[in-house]
Amino acid sequence: MTAALKLAPIAPAMVDRPALDAAIRGACRKIAPLWPLKHFVAVNPFLGFTNQSFAATCATLRRVAGVDMLMPRAFYREAIAAGAIDDAALDAALKASPARPGAPADVAALKAAAALDPRWSARPAAVVATVAEVLDAVAQGDRQASLVGFMIDEISRWCAAYFDEGQASWRMPTRGASPYTAWRDIARYDRNPEIMGVPGFRRSIMALPEDPVEAIGEVVAKLGIPSRAVEDYLHRALFDIGGWAAYARYLAWNAELHGGTDDTLVELLAIRIAWGYALFEARTDAAMKDAWAKAMADAAALPDDEALGADPDLAVDLLLQQAYEIAYRRRLVDGLKGHAARPRAEALPVRKPVQAAFCIDVRSEIFRRAFETACPQAQTVGFAGFFGFPIEYVPIGHQRGGAQCPVLLKPAFIVCEQVGDASPDEETEVLGLRLIRRRAAKAWKSFKLSAVSSFSYVETTGLLFAGKIASDSLGVTRPVANPTVDGLDGSVARRVGPRLEPRKVGGRATGFEPAQRVAMAEAVLKAMSMTEGFARLVMLTGHGSTTVNNPHASGLDCGACGGHTGEANARVAAAILNDLGVREGLRERGLPVPDDTWFLGALHDTTTDEVTIYDEGHVPVSHASDLARLKTWLAKAASLARLERTALLGLTGPEATDEKVLERSRDWSQVRPEWGLAGNAAFIAAPRERTQGLDLGGRAFLHDYDHGKDTSQGVLELIMTAPMVVASWINLQYYGSTVNNRAFGSGNKVLHNVVGQLGVLEGNAGDLKVGLPLQSVHDGERFVHEPLRLNVFIEAGEAAMDAVITKHASVRELIENEWIHLHSLSDEGRTIRRCHGAGDWRDS
Amino acid sequence: MSSLLSWLVLIGPLALVAAGALPSAQANAAPRRTADRTFVAALVAFAVALLTAVAVASGGALVSGTLGLRGIGLGVYADALSAVMFVLVSFIGVVVLRYSRNYLAGDPNQGCFLKWMALTLAAVLTLIISGNLVQFIGAWIATSLGLSRLLLFYGERPAAQLAARKKFVASRIGDACLVLAALLLLGTFGTLDFAGLFAGANAMKAAGTTSGAVTAVAFLVVVAALLKSAQLPLHGWLIEVMETPTPVSALLHAGIINAGGFLVLRLADVVSLSGGALEVLVLVGGATALFGSVVMLTQTSVKVSLAYSTVAQMGFMMLQCGLGAFPAALLHIVAHSLYKAHAFLSSGSVIDLARASWTPSPGGQPHPARLVMALLAALVVTLLVAALFGTTLQEKPGAVALGAILLLGLVHLLANAIDERPNAYVIGRTVVLTVSVALAYFALQAVAEHLMASSLPATLPLRGPFDLAIVALVVLSFAGLVVFQSLMARHAQAPAWRALYVHLSHGLYLNTLANRLVLRHWPRTTPVSSNVKA
Repeated sequence: MTAALKLAPIAPAMVDRPALDAAIRGACRKIAPLWPLKHFVAVNPFLGFTNQSFAATCATLRRVAGVDMLMPRAFYREAIAAGAIDDAALDAALKASPARPGAPADVAALKAAAALDPRWSARPAAVVATVAEVLDAVAQGDRQASLVGFMIDEISRWCAAYFDEGQASWRMPTRGASPYTAWRDIARYDRNPEIMGVPGFRRSIMALPEDPVEAIGEVVAKLGIPSRAVEDYLHRALFDIGGWAAYARYLAWNAELHGGTDDTLVELLAIRIAWGYALFEARTDAAMKDAWAKAMADAAALPDDEALGADPDLAVDLLLQQAYEIAYRRRLVDGLKGHAARPRAEALPVRKPVQAAFCIDVRSEIFRRAFETACPQAQTVGFAGFFGFPIEYVPIGHQRGGAQCPVLLKPAFIVCEQVGDASPDEETEVLGLRLIRRRAAKAWKSFKLSAVSSFSYVETTGLLFAGKIASDSLGVTRPVANPTVDGLDGSVARRVGPRLEPRKVGGRATGFEPAQRVAMAEAVLKAMSMTEGFARLVMLTGHGSTTVNNPHASGLDCGACGGHTGEANARVAAAILNDLGVREGLRERGLPVPDDTWFLGALHDTTTDEVTIYDEGHVPVSHASDLARLKTWLAKAASLARLERTALLGLTGPEATDEKVLERSRDWSQVRPEWGLAGNAAFIAAPRERTQGLDLGGRAFLHDYDHGKDTSQGVLELIMTAPMVVASWINLQYYGSTVNNRAFGSGNKVLHNVVGQLGVLEGNAGDLKVGLPLQSVHDGERFVHEPLRLNVFIEAGEAAMDAVITKHASVRELIENEWIHLHSLSDEGRTIRRCHGAGDWRDS
Repeated sequence: MSSLLSWLVLIGPLALVAAGALPSAQANAAPRRTADRTFVAALVAFAVALLTAVAVASGGALVSGTLGLRGIGLGVYADALSAVMFVLVSFIGVVVLRYSRNYLAGDPNQGCFLKWMALTLAAVLTLIISGNLVQFIGAWIATSLGLSRLLLFYGERPAAQLAARKKFVASRIGDACLVLAALLLLGTFGTLDFAGLFAGANAMKAAGTTSGAVTAVAFLVVVAALLKSAQLPLHGWLIEVMETPTPVSALLHAGIINAGGFLVLRLADVVSLSGGALEVLVLVGGATALFGSVVMLTQTSVKVSLAYSTVAQMGFMMLQCGLGAFPAALLHIVAHSLYKAHAFLSSGSVIDLARASWTPSPGGQPHPARLVMALLAALVVTLLVAALFGTTLQEKPGAVALGAILLLGLVHLLANAIDERPNAYVIGRTVVLTVSVALAYFALQAVAEHLMASSLPATLPLRGPFDLAIVALVVLSFAGLVVFQSLMARHAQAPAWRALYVHLSHGLYLNTLANRLVLRHWPRTTPVSSNVKA
């Protein structure tokens, strides 16, 4: 390092370590995490910006990263032409926004502005240009010639090898070390940059300090970046490798959830900064030197931050987006109010034949409506699909399992999979067989993939793939075995389920103690506002999807179950609620559940709308006819729900709908097996009566909430801090993937190339992709998802909501910075008021 | 077989031409209808291929003669070799066209995509059943051009352009070699009709005199084949063509990349006249096989991994050709195509595989001493088994070398099962598996040899000590690779191994060098600003 300092022509200007640390922290905080594909959950891509307003974030991302987060102007123009945005909405948007210099002041001016495309030259100057950007500019935007594309490919390739979860059989030898150290150890030998035309690459890297933060500081000093621009510079640099940065952020997220820390992202930043520095050092030509000197002079002479927001084109787009949302919100509010005003038949005072709880997921809305049509006397309930059980579910033979709970939570219980009604001998046998099969499969896989044996593998087994290709094409077989039942016999696979009995497994306590069961049962029933009027059958329905050959499959599963299906959670919840000891405990706590009430664990397949009921064998004989009736209703509801979905899926001919939907779920070439949560736009926490019979088009998260029963407002607090936040994450993930799929989505699915068994690349190289594929929000002709921020409606006292908003900064930020629009419902849904901040509620 | 019937074989490619011959705008306007058209055409081609195979099996080759002059014109030559390839490629065609129907649904250019896929397939099928070398070369170039359209389906992607340029350079050199070879053949034999060429070549073989021109032809054909099949050192384009939809990769890796191999097999009678040309195949193919299979181990993305695997497998196939084991090479083409088509089309399932691929407990590595013993045993057993089957090193050196490589693979399979915690079930199961694999291997080789008896030269005998040295080199190289992989697992942390990892994971920088040369000498003419949102 001392050698490097001697070589350096200029003395380091920035040695202020606390300021540097703060800048690094600030840049890293702006990155949202990215979950691996094995349990892909929705993330708000703007998570690092929620402490500033939506509008300010639009401005920041434009001037720092050169990225837009609003639709192209033409989208709004077409919406105005089609009448989706009318003059009233434009007027309302103008009235609601603070006047900005240069922005249209009336509807006519706004419409005139909407008719024009923004001029790129009018974009505000970037806060600070990175080495990469200046190189790009010198190369007239050709990222291949500027070698910036090469740098991104190289960093991405290195990250893939470092973070690889098992794709390569010869793994990076240095991956045991921390990222920056491991990278230096590789860079020491790496001739690739020099062969590509980055002379002195290894020398430049080796001359930098061994400590990542010191290395960043030294580069910042040597490049002469003005101190006011350092954080933006670092953020901008991270944006180039945003996908891997997001994965690094996920590692930190996980570490923090378990009380640890993780500096992977900082080290990754150091790698990116060092790379930029090596590119800089390799260029001694005058064009580059001049351009760089000018860039630094510009950065030092920036106007105040306030003035940077003055961006007339952005102001126009913001107004149009706002008008677009206002128009939708007005339709939704009118619908809710109209529904509330409708005369309603008095509910008959008879016991309901069945209560069915579903996940709040928007896909449940369609099915619940269908189910209520099939059985009008039934009651449906909406609740987060993990049913309040944050579990780690350990499959047979495994030591660890996946966290089946919202990612904001840490699993509180460990539940192991078991073979139902098996003797200990049988269990041992099943376990042993699975382990042995796994080892044999591993040996076979090694035969397939090793250097020499891969040739013999192809020659002896290749011909068999003719049959496999044919049967996979026809959807008769799956391209690979279903991982959940792999290595189990079919008859055994049908019997597996969660084990509740407490037992030590691998030194960890699993299952539930009797006291824990009662406490959990009570909490869940109260959170569901389900404390009286129990039906004979209560179905707790988790959900999952059925798709094949889809790297993003887990993204279609239950987000509340951490990107897994909700099967285990629903079964655990049902089994605990059926436990006789639990019933006794509940009665003692003043929450009696009738003896003839039976809870069923079930799973709603969101791709096919089939509902599977588990543990039927345990259902008392007395309930056999109830169960049979329920099944006929479910079958009818499934057909109705499928019919509703077919319109969006582009299927024609109603007669064969069921078959076509099922075929789709087995089609290995299908890039849109289902539409997932596309279209989501509202979150409603209220009793079902407010929405029952109202067609919400599968666009609303429905959470049952009866504020009359929630005297302590504990449930309200829970709803506003957990399900509402998760829903906004999902909503903003879809928003980001729609408005700018290139920056916040994962691009074209037909180019996806799974890397490191954890994420996808688009094509053969480039950065790791985040968010949703374009195919998940676009049908080829139009966006199926409408980019709308989440409209939240909660039937609760405004003062009670104010209290939650005041107490939780994260909730306050979401609302006050307009990442979601919160409304109160009162007067049985006839009055709807919008929250503009704690204590500030106005008629909507 | 009547020559009239032979012409009917052309219905296969013609159906695809008919389906694909429409303006792109029209194809895009009704993508579903284009999908139906092209799929039905592919089914027709597949049916024709099956009927051709039946006809060839029952009545021998279908030879139409050439509609033209001196073997220059249109013709059909469908023997056992063509029939097998015809069935294979038309099957792949049916599968990829069906797959593309839903996979590209919603893409504004889906119709255009299907159109070019149909036309490219038609070109490959025409190549396979060509009756003469001129028609063959025409189809060869048409295949390359059609493929280019597919590789540049998303032509605005810079990486797609770069790969296409590298491929363009390799392809045109290959084309030039073939044209030159055709001219020399015309000068030597006076015809370019395949039947005439083969007769001439066999006469030359019988006479035992090979003219300089024919030797040159053999070398030119070998160079063209190596370029077509992405062999060292111009393999770089193949590992970068994931910039286009998955079905193109499936078609390329299963139906087009092996055209190089098919060329050598089709002209095996000519190529095998030159020992030197065969040795080039052994050396380049073998080196590529070793290179590709090791680099594959280091790759972290599923599609790039598959591409390196293809480079290696094509190398191995060229090695088989070079060793004179032509039926084995054809078997390899067919088996690899089916395997790789499935691997690409199912590449989205890798997450499911990963979820199922948990490791119950570390199994440990086989002990090196045991491995060495197993290796020695394998070599001894190979020679014994070969002798038992009447295959001696003198008669069938290629078969012996390839058998040795099989046994090395089986050693690996066994060694993996016998890890630090031997378990009777696992070992038992693996032994059964090993025996099945060995039996399948020998049975398939025998079948291939039997089927191709009329189309391909019999496996060549040893011609001298130099051949023996080559065989020994091949076996020792592959044995060395087994040892290498075993050592790698133990010593990966050592500095030398780290350096080796870095160099190999970059494919020995060959592709980087190619990229740099292409970027310098063939820069983008219309730079686009990729930094700004479209």
